[in-house]
Amino acid sequence: MNTVLMALVAIVPIAAGAVTASFAMKRISVTALDGMTRQPEIAPQLFTAMLIGMALVEALAIYTLVVTLVLAGKIVV
Amino acid sequence: MSGSLWAVDSTGLVVIVNALIVAGALVGLGWFLSRTALTSGVPEGRQVVGEFAIDFFLNKARAVAHGYDRDSVVQTVTPFLGTFFFFILLCNLFVLLPLPVVNRPPTSFFSVTLALAVSAVIGNLVLVTRFKGPAGAIKHLFWPNPMQWVSELTDVLSLSLRLFGNIGGEYMTLVLVAAVVPVGIPLILHVLGLIPSFVQALVFTLLTASFLAGAMHRDDRPKKARRRWLGGKRAEPV
Repeated sequence: MNTVLMALVAIVPIAAGAVTASFAMKRISVTALDGMTRQPEIAPQLFTAMLIGMALVEALAIYTLVVTLVLAGKIVV
Repeated sequence: MSGSLWAVDSTGLVVIVNALIVAGALVGLGWFLSRTALTSGVPEGRQVVGEFAIDFFLNKARAVAHGYDRDSVVQTVTPFLGTFFFFILLCNLFVLLPLPVVNRPPTSFFSVTLALAVSAVIGNLVLVTRFKGPAGAIKHLFWPNPMQWVSELTDVLSLSLRLFGNIGGEYMTLVLVAAVVPVGIPLILHVLGLIPSFVQALVFTLLTASFLAGAMHRDDRPKKARRRWLGGKRAEPV
């Protein structure tokens, strides 16, 4: 029982982190693509800004990955 | 201290050897690209490749530098950014090698990414000290927020964890999938893995550049220079 609970505690954060980060990334990429199609001449600048924004969002998802890895290391079968 | 510093296990040895291979490859590549006589006219051959690579980082460095000593800032920052990009890119691409033990990318170890992030942040501080003086660097750490120096620590953490999470996660996925389905599927994963390899190297470089731009932003120029700069007669871009 304890193992199952620990596994759930390890799995739920990474799932929640991935889902929320994917929503934020969707928003970033859709907005950047909108801007690029409206004004193709500023596409390179938008692409750079989009990458930085995505990296910042992705960092949050990776923090949850690290927490999950730490928790998964504590699971005793 | 009895030998513990030099006691390296096999994975540590792989990291060190791979990082040395990458460093050697970069030095060799640079020597090869700049070996021919360089021309200031229309370049051809190797010079085109070298200039294409340098040009990208020149533009990034120009975005960092403002003010009257822009030329020297650009000349110093461009190799700083380029080194990080090519080192991380070649390290990430190690996963593509068709060799069983050697193909572990050095950036899939947290110690390597931590070292890279620490050198990026300390390098930023050194560059700020070089161009704004020690007082400027201390001001950057404690002004306008007295706890501003904490952001340097979180920069290290976020840079290193991002690179490690992406590349290490990719490698872990690849190993797990290859253990189940050894033929076919790993090829697709390798092709998909090319994208994060490139993007993460780019992101590390861009974030270092943007942290540097935030630190180098100067509003403490002499009054005369500021007036000249704002008076419509802006210096020509480099």
